Amino acid sequence: MNRTLRIPALALAILGCAPFGAAHAQNDKGKAIYDKVCVACHSAGIAGAPKLGDAKAWEPRIKAGIDALYESALKGKAPAMPAKGGATDVPDADIKAAVDYMVAAAKDGASAPAAAAAAPAAQAAPAAPTTPRPAALSFNRLLKPASKRNPPPPEDGIHDPDNDGTHALQPPLQVFESLPRSNAGNRVDWVKALDNNLIAPRWDRTDPAAAPVVMDLNIVREVKGSMPDVVYPHKQHTAWLDCSNCHPQIFIPQKGANQISMAAILLGQKCGVCHGKVAFPVSECRICHSKKKNVMPVKNAQAN
Amino acid sequence: MTIRHPGASWRGALAAALVVTICIGGIGTSGDARAEYADVVINNYSDAAGMRPVIFPHWFHRIRFRCKVCHADLGFQFKAGGNEINMVKIIDGQFCGACHNGDIAWSVENCNLCHSGKPGTPTQVHESTIQKLAIQPQAGGQQ
Ligand code: HEC
Ligand code: HEC
Ligand code: HEC
Ligand code: HEC
Ligand code: HEC
Ligand code: HEC
Ligand code: HEC
Repeated sequence: MNRTLRIPALALAILGCAPFGAAHAQNDKGKAIYDKVCVACHSAGIAGAPKLGDAKAWEPRIKAGIDALYESALKGKAPAMPAKGGATDVPDADIKAAVDYMVAAAKDGASAPAAAAAAPAAQAAPAAPTTPRPAALSFNRLLKPASKRNPPPPEDGIHDPDNDGTHALQPPLQVFESLPRSNAGNRVDWVKALDNNLIAPRWDRTDPAAAPVVMDLNIVREVKGSMPDVVYPHKQHTAWLDCSNCHPQIFIPQKGANQISMAAILLGQKCGVCHGKVAFPVSECRICHSKKKNVMPVKNAQAN
Repeated sequence: MTIRHPGASWRGALAAALVVTICIGGIGTSGDARAEYADVVINNYSDAAGMRPVIFPHWFHRIRFRCKVCHADLGFQFKAGGNEINMVKIIDGQFCGACHNGDIAWSVENCNLCHSGKPGTPTQVHESTIQKLAIQPQAGGQQ
C-alpha cells in the first residue's frame, strides 16, 4: 500500500537529512555553521536547494570547482540562495568550512568515485557508503532517531510546508544549539538555561526589568515501594510561574493535603498539568524522584 | 536578550523564492509524532473558516516570556483550545493580540505566521504524554 512506498522514501529522507558519517573532525566548524544557518534550506531542499548528502544534486555543482561553490555561498546565487545563507555576520572562512562540509557529505552519499575525482579541493575521507536499508531492519523501531528531533517547522509534520509563512518561522535547533541540552521534551534544560542567564524571559509583558519573587521551599512526598521519594521544589517553579497558576486550582497549598499519583500525572492532572505537555516530560523519572530512601534496595539504585 | 532572530534577514529572499513548490509532503502526514515538544495546534474554528489551523510554539515564546505572563496576567487557561480565541478578541488586544499588536511583536496582518498548520490538524498539545499514549498502539497496529 501507500505505506510500503513511504518507508523507503522515509529512509532516504533520513539519510538525506542526517549528516551521519559525514562529520570529519576538520569539518566540525563547517557542520556547526551548516546546522545553524544552511540547514534551514539545504536539509529539505527548499526552493530547489541541493540537499545535504544528495550526491546527484551536488555532482554537477562540484564539477564547477570548489571556488565557484565558495563564490555562490559567499555572494549568493539567484534566485533563492542568499549571500552567506542570510547570515552576513559569519566570517568568510566559516562559510567556506560549511561548503566543505556539504561537499564532503555529498561525496559520502555518492557511491560513484566520479564526483570525488572532480573536486580536488575538498578533503573527503573514506567513509562507509550509506546504503539505504529497509526501515523494518533499522536499529531503533520506536525510539526517535536523532535526525528526527527538533525538526524545522516545514518538516515537523504539523506545519503546512505549502504555506509561505511556515518557512519564515525559526527552526528550533537554531536556538537550542546554544542552550544546555537535556534528554527529553525540547531537549533543552530550561532550568539551567534560565539559571545561567542564557535566556532572559520577561516576567512582565512590557517591563523587561520586572523579576519574580522566587520562593525556596521544598516539599518531600514519600513514595511507597522502591521508587525514590519525590522532591517538589518551589524554587524552580516560582521562577517561571505565579502562585495562582497552581494554588488553589491544582494544589491546595498545604503539605500532604493533595492526593497525587503517577496515574493522575500520566493523565495530565496534578504535576501532569504541565509535565508531559510543556515542562519536562514524565519519562524523566529521576528529576522528580530524586530523594533516595534510607532503607535502600541496594542494587538498582543507580540504574536508569 | 541574548538570542537574536537570524531568520529575519533572509525572509524576503525566501518568500520570493517559495513560489516554487516544496516537495516534502511524503514524510509529513499528521500521524507522525515528531512535532516540536509543546507546540499547540488550535483549531476550534480555523478549519471551518477556511483558514489553516493556528500553531503556537511554546519553546519560542518561553525564551521571551515566563509562563506567568500568559497563564496568569493574560488569562490563558492551561488547556489547548480552551480559551475560545477568535480574531475579534485578538484585534481587541486579548490573548495573542496582547502582544501581536505591532508594538511588542509583529501585528495580526501576518496571518500565515500563526495560521501555519496543515489543514485538518486537530487541536492538541504536541508530543504530550497523552498524545503518545494514544498514538503508539495505533502506530504499532499499522505495521
Ligand atoms: C534561504 C535558503 C538557503 C539558505 C539558508 C542557504 N542556501 Fe545554499 N542554496 C539555496 C538554493 C535555493 C540553492 C540553489 C541555487 C541554484 O543553483 O539555483 C543553493 C545552493 C547552494 C550552493 C551551490 C551553489 C552553486 O554554485 O551551485 C552552495 C555551495 C550553497 N548553497 C551553500 C550554502 C551554505 C554554505 C549555506 C549556509 C551558510 C547556505 N547555502 C544556506 C538556498 C539556501
Ligand atoms: C506575551 C506576548 C505574546 C503573546 C501573548 C503571544 N505572542 Fe507570539 N510572539 C511574541 C513575540 C515577542 C514574538 C517574536 C516576534 C519577532 O520575532 O519579532 C512572537 C512570535 C510568534 C511567532 C513566530 C515564531 C517564529 O518562529 O518566528 C508565532 C507563530 C507566534 N508568535 C504565534 C502566537 C500565537 C498563535 C499566539 C496566541 C495563541 C501568540 N503568539 C501569543 C509574543 C507573544
Ligand atoms: C507548580 C505549582 C506550584 C506553584 C507555582 C506554587 N506552588 Fe506552592 N505548592 C505546590 C505543591 C505541589 C505543594 C505541596 C502540596 C502537597 O504536599 O500536597 C505546595 C505547597 C505549598 C504550601 C504549603 C507548605 C506546607 O509546608 O504546608 C505553601 C504555603 C505554598 N505552596 C505557597 C506557595 C506560594 C506562596 C507560591 C508562589 C510564590 C507557590 N506556592 C507556588 C505547588 C506549587
Ligand atoms: C503549572 C505547571 C507545573 C506544574 C503543575 C508542575 N510543574 Fe514542575 N516544572 C514546571 C516548569 C515550567 C519547570 C521548569 C523546567 C521545565 O520547563 O522543564 C518545572 C521544573 C520542575 C522541576 C525542576 C527540574 C530541575 O531541573 O531542577 C521539578 C523537580 C519538578 N518540576 C517537579 C514537579 C512536581 C513533582 C510537580 C507536582 C507536584 C510539578 N513539578 C508540577 C512546571 C510545572
Ligand atoms: C513530574 C514529576 C514526576 C515524574 C517525572 C515522575 N513521577 Fe512518579 N510520582 C510523582 C509524584 C508527585 C508521585 C506521588 C507521590 C505521593 O504519593 O505523594 C509519584 C508517585 C510514583 C509512584 C508511586 C505509585 C503511584 O502511582 O503513586 C511510582 C511507582 C512512580 N511515581 C514511578 C515513576 C516512574 C517509573 C517515573 C518515570 C517513568 C515517574 N514516576 C516519573 C512525580 C513524578
Ligand atoms: C497572532 C496569531 C494570529 C494571527 C497573526 C492571525 N490569527 Fe487568525 N486566529 C488566531 C487564533 C489563535 C485563532 C483561533 C483558532 C481556532 O480556534 O481555530 C484564530 C482564528 C481565526 C479565524 C476563525 C475564527 C474567527 O475569528 O472568525 C479566522 C477566520 C482567522 N483567524 C483569520 C485570520 C486572518 C485573515 C488573519 C490575517 C489578517 C489572521 N487570522 C491572523 C491567531 C492569529
Ligand atoms: C506567550 C504566551 C505563553 C507562554 C509564555 C506560555 N504559554 Fe502555555 N499556552 C499558551 C497558549 C496560547 C496555549 C494554548 C491555549 C489554547 O489553545 O487556548 C497554552 C497552553 C498551555 C498548556 C495546556 C496544555 C493542555 O493541556 O492542553 C500548558 C500546560 C501550558 N501552556 C504550560 C505552560 C508553561 C509551563 C509555560 C512556561 C514554561 C507556558 N505555558 C508558557 C501560551 C503561553
